[in-house]
Amino acid sequence: MRKTWVVTFETYLRQIKSWSFLFMVLGPFLMIGLTIGISYLSANSASSSKQVAVISTSQPLRRDYIKQQDSGLNTKITTVSAAKSAMGKNHLAGYLLLSDNQQQIHADYHGSSQMSSALKAQTQNFLSRYQQAYNYQQAKLTTKQQRLLARTPVLQQHIEKKAGTANLAKTISFWILVTMIYIILITYSTIAAQEIASDKGTKIMEIIFSSTTATSYFVGKIAGILLVILTQIVIYLLGGWAAFQFAMNSASLKPLITQYQSLIDTVLHNLLSINLVYLFLGVIIYTLLAAYSGAVVAKAEDASKAAQPVIMLGVFGFFATFPFQNNMDALLVKILSYVPFFSSYFMPMRIINGTVNGWEQTISLIVLLAAIALFAGYIGSQYQRLMLQTDNHSFWQHLLHGWRHQS
Amino acid sequence: MLSIQHISKQFDTVKALTDVSFDVPNGQILGLIGQNGAGKSTTFHSILNFIKYDGSITWQGHPLSADDFDTIGYLPEERSLMTKLTIEQQIVYLARLKNKSAKDIRPRIDDWLGRFAVKGTRKSRINDLSKGNQQKVQLICTLIHHPKLLILDEPFSGLDPVNADLLKQAILNARDDGAAIIFSSHDMENVSALCDHLVMLRKGEMVLNGTLNEVRSQFGKTELYVTTDWSATRLATLPGVADVETRQPGQYLLHLTDPAVGPDIFAELTQGHYIEEFSQQPPTLDEIFRMKVGEDHA
Repeated sequence: MRKTWVVTFETYLRQIKSWSFLFMVLGPFLMIGLTIGISYLSANSASSSKQVAVISTSQPLRRDYIKQQDSGLNTKITTVSAAKSAMGKNHLAGYLLLSDNQQQIHADYHGSSQMSSALKAQTQNFLSRYQQAYNYQQAKLTTKQQRLLARTPVLQQHIEKKAGTANLAKTISFWILVTMIYIILITYSTIAAQEIASDKGTKIMEIIFSSTTATSYFVGKIAGILLVILTQIVIYLLGGWAAFQFAMNSASLKPLITQYQSLIDTVLHNLLSINLVYLFLGVIIYTLLAAYSGAVVAKAEDASKAAQPVIMLGVFGFFATFPFQNNMDALLVKILSYVPFFSSYFMPMRIINGTVNGWEQTISLIVLLAAIALFAGYIGSQYQRLMLQTDNHSFWQHLLHGWRHQS
Repeated sequence: MLSIQHISKQFDTVKALTDVSFDVPNGQILGLIGQNGAGKSTTFHSILNFIKYDGSITWQGHPLSADDFDTIGYLPEERSLMTKLTIEQQIVYLARLKNKSAKDIRPRIDDWLGRFAVKGTRKSRINDLSKGNQQKVQLICTLIHHPKLLILDEPFSGLDPVNADLLKQAILNARDDGAAIIFSSHDMENVSALCDHLVMLRKGEMVLNGTLNEVRSQFGKTELYVTTDWSATRLATLPGVADVETRQPGQYLLHLTDPAVGPDIFAELTQGHYIEEFSQQPPTLDEIFRMKVGEDHA
């Protein structure tokens, strides 16, 4: 056990201290930071030139318009000459000239381009309401007549809820989960395969196997890689928590989060559940397969090829989920949610959509755990032979030989 | 004591070892010699349980198991270290796999680096060391935990005479500490200088087994070293002389057909007068090695 820990610690330290790990962990943060920074700069530089000034000889009319329009207006400019001057300096997108002859309202827009559709719709809405109020006033209608005229037709949609159909929260949860599983599997499969393959056929393995058992060494290596994965997940959780705290304290982001609070809660509930167990077990079984692939390469120089079969399987599992995201009742989805290597993708999908009961989840987990135990036992028993063999057979020949040797 | 009894190993159609048996008592050195492919590394791999074999190998009376790993020091034929580590990290890592604590090993590193005259400090990266210095670091990794069973596969290859002497001294020190040592070498001079016992393998079969003197004596005293003013042609006419090699002008090596002719040759050559050199010996290990290899090619 002590020697296993020595190997775990050495593997962990070697990975953590590498530049590639630093870039891998910081990469998403840098990307998000860069995106926010660019958006902020772009929004700031463009914000003044998108604004529209409202000018009117009737101050109540201007005040009412500004009151119903919450953003995108420049309220400081009150004259046509000032508006034209601001447009000349590209500080204003245009100005809206409102006039009122007590019978009809006029609105003239002057700008360097068409009004935005949102501004146009809001302006039309405002003008209709204002004009309607004038019309009622001049027609001298009773309250009852006004109410009758205000009556509008009713359009309602009645959607038949189909089992397996994902709503927005489910769709977001699905995409976050499968993408997270996919990225972690692909990244760490490559790392695990290369970590093992780089030792292949080297004499250092003979020295190590004269010091500890192959099984103990193999378990130590896998545990070291899993610790690295755990470190990355913890860093991301802390980073996510810090980002959430920042957003909650940010005046511009807080309303957005409050608006979508229930959606965020549902997505987090879907992610921080038994699905995390599937994610973790999925990572373990794919890491084991990657380690096995790393051990069967012909020589250390072939380390880059080692992860190929695992990546192919991971990619296949990832894309196989696409056609079924709105059809969780398909027989294939049910079958694949019990098959190791695929259950890590498909069972969480079914759990998110509520199309699976506790017993089915338990059976799938037991199958996955049993597969991991059997697979680890098999690789542990073959590991010394695989790591010490040196010949010129290809990767696939080694793979076939490995299975034949076992049988 | 390491005891190897009737071990055989076959790779597909190739017989790598056939009924090999020998013992290495504690505090003794056994030299394993043989041509490339004779089965030396296969013997080492069998001892270390890297491969399955027929027969029995025991260490201190029981089959070698994971519990014995901490008492083994193994140096493989080709050198290989973790090149991104520093000397200290490499030594400590491998020592920890031998159940030694870093606290115990770290204070010893400088002494060992000095003993092997390694050019570099404990903080030097393995990658930055010359091939010779890397080899010395690997030797330190093999020896620093004071193993009781030392298995060295071609330990002298690539070492210059000065460094070879440093290694010889380290091996002798380990022997004096009571370690059972088995090593392979192509250099018969090193084997002669170090070994208490000798085993020669040829195509997986044991063709020689015994102490150095026993092995040499098996071949009789058929080598006669003389210094004389006789010519090589005249020496070749002496009775029982198979052929004559000129070592230096006036110095010859006579190969005898029968060791018993020595006294007659002495009488004939000296005629009762002083002679500077007359030494009748068994063949050297180098010659025995060549003879045994030659038998196979004949």
